[in-house]
Amino acid sequence: MRSAQKSNARAFKLPVMTEKIDIYKLANGMTILGIPMSQVQSASFDFLLPAGAAVMPDNCCGASAVISDWIFRGAGGKTSKELTDRLDGLGLHRKSGVESKHIALSAALEAENLHQVIELYADIILKPALDSQQFEYSRQLALHSLASLEDDPMQKTLLMLAEHFYPDPLGRNPLGKQDDLQKLTAEKCIQIISENFNIGGTVLAIAGKYDFQKLCPLLEKLFAGKKPEKAKDINVKKQSPAYHHQQHDGAQVHIGIITPTVTPQSADYYNARVAVAVLSGGMSSRLFTEVREKRGLCYAIWASYHSLKEMAGIRCYAGTTPDKAQETYNVIITEFKRLAEGIGEDELKRAKIGLQSSLIMQSESTIARAQAAATDYYILGKVRGLDEIKQQIEKTTVKSVLDFLRKNPFDKSCSVTIGPAEIKTVST
Amino acid sequence: MEFKYKKLANGLDIIAEVNKDAQSAAAGFFVKTGSRDETQQISGVSHFLEHMLFKGTDHLSTHDVNRRFDELGAIYNAQTGEENTIYYSATLPAQLYEAAKLWCQLMRPALRDDDFNMEKNVILEEIAMYKDIPDFDVIDKCRRLHFSPHPCGNSVLGNNESIGQMSAEQMREYFNRRYAPNNITVAAAGNFDFEKICDFLQAGCADWLPKQADRKTEYFAGTAKKGQEKKKNLTCRHICLASPTVSYQDERAYAAILLAKIIGDETGSRFFWRLVDTAIAETATMHCEAMDGVGAFFSYIRTAEENGSKVLQIVEDIFKSLYKEKISDDELRKAKNKVLSAITIKNEIPMGRLIEIGFNWLYLKEYRPIEDEIQRIKKVTLDDLTALMQEFPLTPFTQFSLGPEN
Repeated sequence: MRSAQKSNARAFKLPVMTEKIDIYKLANGMTILGIPMSQVQSASFDFLLPAGAAVMPDNCCGASAVISDWIFRGAGGKTSKELTDRLDGLGLHRKSGVESKHIALSAALEAENLHQVIELYADIILKPALDSQQFEYSRQLALHSLASLEDDPMQKTLLMLAEHFYPDPLGRNPLGKQDDLQKLTAEKCIQIISENFNIGGTVLAIAGKYDFQKLCPLLEKLFAGKKPEKAKDINVKKQSPAYHHQQHDGAQVHIGIITPTVTPQSADYYNARVAVAVLSGGMSSRLFTEVREKRGLCYAIWASYHSLKEMAGIRCYAGTTPDKAQETYNVIITEFKRLAEGIGEDELKRAKIGLQSSLIMQSESTIARAQAAATDYYILGKVRGLDEIKQQIEKTTVKSVLDFLRKNPFDKSCSVTIGPAEIKTVST
Repeated sequence: MEFKYKKLANGLDIIAEVNKDAQSAAAGFFVKTGSRDETQQISGVSHFLEHMLFKGTDHLSTHDVNRRFDELGAIYNAQTGEENTIYYSATLPAQLYEAAKLWCQLMRPALRDDDFNMEKNVILEEIAMYKDIPDFDVIDKCRRLHFSPHPCGNSVLGNNESIGQMSAEQMREYFNRRYAPNNITVAAAGNFDFEKICDFLQAGCADWLPKQADRKTEYFAGTAKKGQEKKKNLTCRHICLASPTVSYQDERAYAAILLAKIIGDETGSRFFWRLVDTAIAETATMHCEAMDGVGAFFSYIRTAEENGSKVLQIVEDIFKSLYKEKISDDELRKAKNKVLSAITIKNEIPMGRLIEIGFNWLYLKEYRPIEDEIQRIKKVTLDDLTALMQEFPLTPFTQFSLGPEN
């Protein structure tokens, strides 16, 4: 049986993914990325507007969340109702999200409606109505979302972890702060929009079925007249890794741990990704095996690579009942540290196959492709082809991953717990 | 896309939709068993058993199972509900056969005592985890209130007592009764060779013995009861409402899906304009659960504690207004477009297609091509919606809410 498994792994052949990536810069500097996918009837897009949580002025935390809702409440001469009706009538599945540096406006739709939808999004971005009564609704909704976070300790653990790990303001809670949201005004948000909706710094990625030759002139026309502006500088404050606990009378202690690692720009990036996959890729990976399978400490246990442009971390989450929290934390820390002691060839092989296989499977989704392309371009200034990623993963070896781990030892971490009990953390 | 079907001599159905253009292939074992097939004494056994299938066979340890899936680069998981337990994986096309072979082995698990006792801890942790997710908790409690004593009100997870007292022997007995080949459908979707996968399934499953694994399906309209619970760790009010609708087998299920969109889609619905657009509630959605011989609409609303009563008044008003101010052509057209584009997007990925064809077979014993689904959606008229609302009134509804203590 063991040899059969090995032969399966050896026989694993990944398809060659030749692909084309369309890139076009509008006269105003806005970048258009296109990933054509011939086998689909849908298209997805992702606008990254440089108006994320970290670029909001001090005392305006949460303004991005308010703005990302407000701009959909009427635009281009259409009322909120007319605009929503148009978008719904086109069968659009849309999402607005706030990231560290961006407001991300994404949508998936049937390809034949793409041009009509892009025209509506140009209005939403360039000509939002910004009505003051509608502002009040958006602000109230943002306050509701912030209050709901208190009822979602798992999500709050992850947001608190980012807040304490990344230098302020990079790790700001995208939902904002209650005091700031209460004081936020429509006038202030109008000013923020005019200063931050920098079209030259905007990226639009489209994946699926589209005609780039027709799309680019349309975008040129829709977004004409906007001049590129210089990206804003952000002053960051140094963070010191620490442990933070929030008392919560729930059933579980929610544990978050994050330790610094290299960013996607680093030559060691793929070694880091493979190391995280050994730790927590599939169900045979170390954390799942040691924490859940052997000890039954948790149901939810995972680690993943998490990155901003400026800084990255290996982030871990576990949820467990109070009497098991300390042991869970201890086992996780042991596994983080043990990684640099050695990795088996078989572990490496599984980690690589897992990463490469999910890469190809994600490539079938227009939404995943558009989002990956936009993020790649923002962080790396280019879109990595699937073949390039596949080859870079393939190049990693046990030695290269261990060298990376030894150069970047697990000696600093930031931890957060939310729940009925605190834990004792290792000194960092 | 090409549909393929084969039935093994022991009753195991194999269905497949082959798409040679796909980059991946998905395979799944759909077992027609869930919490509605349990007694209170073994509440949660279907879900616990789903975990135990990954603990291996007489020839495979837990780690062997996990390692083999990971060696195949598989994205795999399982889920248990009130009516079905499904196991599924997506791989690159060449790996599908080995994945299917592995699933065949797992479907005859060892159910070892040691593994059972260790996994019990994980199940209890999962129960604890869901207690900290109030949107799940409130829907679970509303479902119980709505259906009880009908078995569709049974909890999928069970509770600390039922799981704590459950024995491995009880689980083995349940397994022997429910995991009969004639109660399982194997489905595959994406890029693969049907004859080849059938060979693997024939080799792996042909010796399973058929058994009677029946289920009584009785229609139940729901209790329309009201309930609430206060919890000291909560900040918001979480409200779930349930009212009856048609079953999966009823052709009117398509009208029910569209009606739920019109009333409670995330954007542009009646809930949206009255509750979310006006910032009275943060979230207000409705969905249709068409089940085996029974069905219900569930609505979930999250709001500030002080808005709880106001929200309920508005919801009652929305439900009543549907009978006075008729649904417009435009509302129906938008709902159709949303559902149709969701079908297109979901079905572009073999895993999405697998779930669709698998469930259609479980409930209908029928293959429906995408084009067929699209036509059924397009065919729904305003009169269909009106007739549905007349036969299945939206009020009175079952209601459960969770909120803070003070």
